[in-house]
Amino acid sequence: MINLAVFVVFAVLAVTAAVLVVVQKNVMHSVLYLAFAVLATAGVFFSLQAEYLGAIQILVYAGGIVVLYIFVIVIVNLKEVVPEPRPLLAKIVLVAVPVATGVQVAWLLLVGGFPAAGATGEGQGFKAVAETLFASYLFPFELASVLLLAVLVGAILVARRKLVHDPD
Amino acid sequence: MIPTEAVVVLGLLLFAVGFVGVVVRKNLVVMLMSLELLLNGANVILVGFGRRLDSPRGSIFALFVIIMAVSEAAVGFALVLAYFRQKKSCDVDALDELKG
Repeated sequence: MINLAVFVVFAVLAVTAAVLVVVQKNVMHSVLYLAFAVLATAGVFFSLQAEYLGAIQILVYAGGIVVLYIFVIVIVNLKEVVPEPRPLLAKIVLVAVPVATGVQVAWLLLVGGFPAAGATGEGQGFKAVAETLFASYLFPFELASVLLLAVLVGAILVARRKLVHDPD
Repeated sequence: MIPTEAVVVLGLLLFAVGFVGVVVRKNLVVMLMSLELLLNGANVILVGFGRRLDSPRGSIFALFVIIMAVSEAAVGFALVLAYFRQKKSCDVDALDELKG
């Protein structure tokens, strides 16, 4: 019961912060609400007993990605609010389509329900996650490290200033 | 006991809000942020099903989604910076030509 209450509190916080991220005009406020939404999602993960993922969420998202966002906004210097002209009708349609899609899928799920599935009994703790990750998903894990290396090199290559004149 | 339906509905809500952000906003940085929200919604659903099946695989897939989101954010920001140096703007409306 307490678990459900905690889940509901964090869920409401996450959705509210997510809406504010999209609605805010000031980009810096958006980033702070994004940090809020990410931390609330971490709370949801904790209430779902996915402690490992909650910790990763706080470390990587709140500690890494949000700081990266703040750095980029400071570099790009988005102080002035950019007007975003768009016809009102287009705006309404663009908001309505994703929301209607989400509501429809949610409604279908709630009406139809999920097929009954047997629990695998593998558990969800740290030990179970580590054992499955390094036994069944070792190859994707290693691929992810290669991906991160490629991202590191690619991001530096794309973002650096071209100070040296290349004769080629 | 948290019903799986509630978790899935929360994930769908986050996904829909992120989707709206990507489609409606014209600021590149805000669009990237909305993408993060969208991936977060997917993660919530993955964790919910992992819990329903009492399996660590939901968390593991969500971990891979997070790794992918980090990569996307890093490369996306590199592109935003390169674009900003060219155009002095973060508006996608100015992004209507590919000539450097």
